[in-house]
Amino acid sequence: MAQKQATKKNKKSQSLLPQALWQKIGANYLLTNDSGHYAWLKEKDFALVTAGKMAEKDPLFAELAAKGFIRNRLDFNDLAAKWKKKNAYLYYGPGLHILVMTLRCGNKCLYCQSAAAGLGAKHTDMPLAVARKSVDLAFNSPNPGITIEFQGGEPLLNWEVLKSTVVYARKKARISGKDLKLALVSNFSLMTAEKAEFLLKHEVSLCTSLDGPKALHDENRVSSAGSSYEDTVKWIKFFQARHDTQVPEYRVFKPSALLTVSRYSLSSHKEIIDEYVGMGLEDIFIRPLAPIGYARRLWGKIGYDAKDFSIFYLKSLDYILKLNQRGVVIREKMASMMLDKIVNFRDPGYLDARCPCGAAIGQLAYNYNGDIYTCDEGRMVGWEGNDLFRIGNVFTDSYKKVITSATTKVCVVSSNLEAQPVCARCAYKPYCGVCPVYNYETQGTLWGNMPANDRCGLFKGIFKALFTLLKNPEKAAILKKWVAK
Amino acid sequence: MNTNKVAKEIFLDAGIYSGEAVKLAAFVFSDRADIRIAPGKGVFTVSVSAEDAEHTVGEFLNEVLNQQCRIDLAKKNSKIAGIIVTKALLSAAGEK
Repeated sequence: MAQKQATKKNKKSQSLLPQALWQKIGANYLLTNDSGHYAWLKEKDFALVTAGKMAEKDPLFAELAAKGFIRNRLDFNDLAAKWKKKNAYLYYGPGLHILVMTLRCGNKCLYCQSAAAGLGAKHTDMPLAVARKSVDLAFNSPNPGITIEFQGGEPLLNWEVLKSTVVYARKKARISGKDLKLALVSNFSLMTAEKAEFLLKHEVSLCTSLDGPKALHDENRVSSAGSSYEDTVKWIKFFQARHDTQVPEYRVFKPSALLTVSRYSLSSHKEIIDEYVGMGLEDIFIRPLAPIGYARRLWGKIGYDAKDFSIFYLKSLDYILKLNQRGVVIREKMASMMLDKIVNFRDPGYLDARCPCGAAIGQLAYNYNGDIYTCDEGRMVGWEGNDLFRIGNVFTDSYKKVITSATTKVCVVSSNLEAQPVCARCAYKPYCGVCPVYNYETQGTLWGNMPANDRCGLFKGIFKALFTLLKNPEKAAILKKWVAK
Repeated sequence: MNTNKVAKEIFLDAGIYSGEAVKLAAFVFSDRADIRIAPGKGVFTVSVSAEDAEHTVGEFLNEVLNQQCRIDLAKKNSKIAGIIVTKALLSAAGEK
């Protein structure tokens, strides 16, 4: 009798939907699972699947079974392999190491989150000893691939130290056998032919900020020397040309640019995208402004809510797809990174949308004075006078001490979506991530409160748009091409 | 002492909200309001004193709900959440 009851109970549980998440969008349901599979279902099919009553002869059955949505057809090896591939970062430790070479900068960008200091503040230049110690600590990460990103302020203001650090890091890489990528984030205002040659020769990839056409760029990125646009454009073109011609001795990477959307940008999506296309840039990273650091103080003037940004973002995405249909090569970077997870089950290295987030376990930020922070955003909070996200100093703390600090642990715990009430049941959970620094700055706790969280609203808007576009075969084909590599 | 502050009293059903959730929410609001919690029979009496008391009380109630949901979720998900956190931290520390 007991056996009969157990069999009956098993049969009942066999018929239910396995672990899955869903969201009703319009008339249809988006179904997802932790391995990263998704399916769009009509209401009647959704009812059949959730009740475990979908017949094997149903045309949808095979697809849903292959994706892990039919309980008694689960291929655990395949599902686990996809989960592992998508969450590969859980196995490596921090790969990104941000060195703040100086806080000085000649620009006074309206939204600057990097807490730039005036040109005279030489005491905020990173000394060589700090830079070397930072590199040493970075190479203690178990990650076989290390990216060292030189940031500021304007890092070119501390050129001699930057130069020596590049050489030192390359030497460390040769000795350790680690794969080293070097990157420079600069406004190019101090770039010279000599500096450019050095950076190219040492395979340093280059990234700058471009906020759109001259008037908009200069409005956002105020320069003490007049226009900041001219230098930016001049050097993007220079590095583009060098990339296009290449040389046998070293690889020349395509330069990239970052767009920060201020309130002034919201009415100019076409002009901004056209500027990128005209410049020969193939990626545009449409980043929302975050009310962190200096931008927080000016939020009333330059900020906006998630709804405004979502409208801007969706108009931009639509325009980019129209350009793609006409044969123009241009991709939106945030969408590309989300799509890489959705379509390829791959970790694109987007630290802001990981679970747990990249704070400390994916990246470390080294301030000019050797203080180590969970991330660059955490460093900005520190500059505002709150060192909650400081996890050590290169002179006094070992890598292990930094990575096992209480702050590291609490950032990992609080950004784990399985511990976030709304996220744990969200259909976008397999592809999303929360930011404890953002939560802390905007809502007063590391956990935040997602229903009232603008970042959450914004990510949801982007995911909804992407999944809706993926329903359209023509648009899906274009989007899949963005991440086909 | 800020004299512009207005106190509002609210009552929370102890069958729905735990003392832990109410205390955590009060802690989150400690820089925005003065909060006093008085546990009673089946109810928490909470006094919220703030400049914009009406608005603050609404936000405080949302935070109590948020904390309670987090505590409830932890009871169900703590095992998988713990595995993910442990794996992430051990890998970053170079431990297998």
